[in-house]
Amino acid sequence: MLKTIFLVALTLAIAIGGGAASVWYVLNLQNGVGAVTIGDWTAFPDLGTPDTDPYSKARVAREGILTLGRAEGLAFVAENDSSGAELRRGCSYTVQGTVPPSRFWTIHAADEGMNVINGLKQRAPALHSYEMLREQDNSVSIAVSRTPAPGNWLAVDGTGKMFLILTLYDTTIASSTGVADVKLPRIIKVGCNA
Amino acid sequence: MLRLLYALLLGLVGAGIVHIAVLLLLPMISQNDAWSRLAASSDLYKITRLDAESGVTPVVRSVDPLFDAAACRFDLSDGVLKVTANGHAPFWSVSVYNRAGENIYSFNDHTLPDGGIDFIVLTSTQLVELRKEMPEGLDKSIYVESPDEQGIVVVRGFVPDKSWEKQVVDFLGGISCAPEQQQ
Repeated sequence: MLKTIFLVALTLAIAIGGGAASVWYVLNLQNGVGAVTIGDWTAFPDLGTPDTDPYSKARVAREGILTLGRAEGLAFVAENDSSGAELRRGCSYTVQGTVPPSRFWTIHAADEGMNVINGLKQRAPALHSYEMLREQDNSVSIAVSRTPAPGNWLAVDGTGKMFLILTLYDTTIASSTGVADVKLPRIIKVGCNA
Repeated sequence: MLRLLYALLLGLVGAGIVHIAVLLLLPMISQNDAWSRLAASSDLYKITRLDAESGVTPVVRSVDPLFDAAACRFDLSDGVLKVTANGHAPFWSVSVYNRAGENIYSFNDHTLPDGGIDFIVLTSTQLVELRKEMPEGLDKSIYVESPDEQGIVVVRGFVPDKSWEKQVVDFLGGISCAPEQQQ
């Protein structure tokens, strides 16, 4: 008798606990269903549209996000640098390369909860393409660090994990064609100050 | 032993069913979606700033720190929605979301010839009604057909630096989001 109760309880615990935990796990994955990965960056072009998959729908409902529309732009999120190591707020990085055609783009850093990191209050928390210093071949090189750097400097502070978010506005790649064919800048680790 | 194995197997199958059920029910029961969050802070047709103004936690997380955004909720059972705004921002864009917070239509400042916002959200039934007799002043607007009666309009304005802040805030503050009176 007791054995039967135990087995029923075990079955229910696995079913409810396992079912709920697996949904929670999948929805928290940065690289979840519907993601398009280009180099170090990940985007969800279909997130928040009516013709997306159930996982993206659940994510939109749970997080209460209002995603950018196709005519507005597309956001790319980076979690790792080009060597595959997690991005840390205590480290210095160089974001280097060219950005696909768009009217303009912005880049900013976010903490684990995807809140904007405002490194220095006197500086804007993000950089945009209109204020970029460019190389001769039109590529850009952005220093992301806690300490000031010459050229384009995105100031961060604090410790722990961070994300870099590159948002392209009014871009042709946000339409259904060719999201996978574009090239995005690489994130190279310069060093860590632990 | 065999019964334990059977219980484990049954538990795993059950977990699969619960996984699917939770996933499909989440959008319907979520109290945390954009509509509910907006409803908690403001009424229908009221323009609400989405970005954090001086330390207030943002209503809906606005992704880009260089953007200011404003939203209003609408219900088309009150009549067709007309949204207008005049002003200038370096870049602005508009998105129309359905009740579930899914983007059904978007456009930006290059879409309209004179740079101002002027569009109408309506259901397909209302569109048929409206086409029978086009009222004055609506003939130049963009028409957005909404599958649901309820939804959210979001206007985003780009603020390249602090000097643009006031102009973009004025632009967003000047948005009119109201149901068009029907005859």
